[in-house]
Amino acid sequence: MVEIEIDEDACVGCGSCVDDCPNDVYQMNEEKWKTEVVKVEDCMACLSCHEICPAQAMEHRDIHVAKRLYIDRKVNDVLDKII
Amino acid sequence: MDMEIEEIRGTFRPELIPKETGGDIEDYEEALHVLMKFVGSMSSALEQVSGRGANAIVYQAGKRMGHDAAKMMEKTDNLEQAMKEMGEVLGVEFYFEMWKPSDQEGYTIEKGNETVVKLLFMDCVVRQTLRRTGLPQKGPLCYLLYGYMVGAVEEVMSIKGKLDIDHVGPNACLKTLTIKWGGK
Ligand code: SF4
Ligand code: SF4
Repeated sequence: MVEIEIDEDACVGCGSCVDDCPNDVYQMNEEKWKTEVVKVEDCMACLSCHEICPAQAMEHRDIHVAKRLYIDRKVNDVLDKII
Repeated sequence: MDMEIEEIRGTFRPELIPKETGGDIEDYEEALHVLMKFVGSMSSALEQVSGRGANAIVYQAGKRMGHDAAKMMEKTDNLEQAMKEMGEVLGVEFYFEMWKPSDQEGYTIEKGNETVVKLLFMDCVVRQTLRRTGLPQKGPLCYLLYGYMVGAVEEVMSIKGKLDIDHVGPNACLKTLTIKWGGK
């Protein structure tokens, strides 16, 4: 079962995840003005919310992590040396 | 950047089915990345030249591949069984499962002479290729999988099928498969 944790300190309350999630998993907490998870059971782990969140404020646990064959390890090795 | 190319030298004999690939995992990786870049740029060039027609071309190519791939599969008119067989046809590189929202009872919905099922594609080489080449999802290349799926399901179930993209994400994409009963 998917678990989603929101880092409330990181969340800037932009609401992008609320607008972007196709399954209405999030809603804005109007008092705190932070996002909150209200329908975790409908999360399909598409991770669109990760891509849109400017604060990298969420973490999804126990999900199928898709293969990332597009990563060029040689480029990563070079970047590792530079950064 | 200096690149060292290791040349393979040896004896070569004619054989019907070569057993050795002449490469290792690194070579496969390299080949995969070259292919991803090649397919990605071909797709965007196709879109540039033929506009929306690109989708139709790629869809037809995918459909043909789907029909061919599913020729050997057992025919069935049971959608769940067909989806299991489709999983085998599409393999681990297009790993998918049926999906439903929590308030829906079963995976399938009957609508007149149509049955609808939502499919969640978790692994997809098309998505990998698009990310490798910085192209957006839902473009012509996605129509390859669309056609492939429709072709294979038509072959296995002898029906007409349609696949709509509901949502695309970096880790999974949701599609709706509609089966139209009543033959081709
Ligand atoms: S992973 Fe997808 S379905 Fe789940 S919360 Fe994020 S956007 Fe919504
Ligand atoms: S997208 Fe990120 S920062 Fe914006 S509301 Fe959602 S969790 Fe907070």
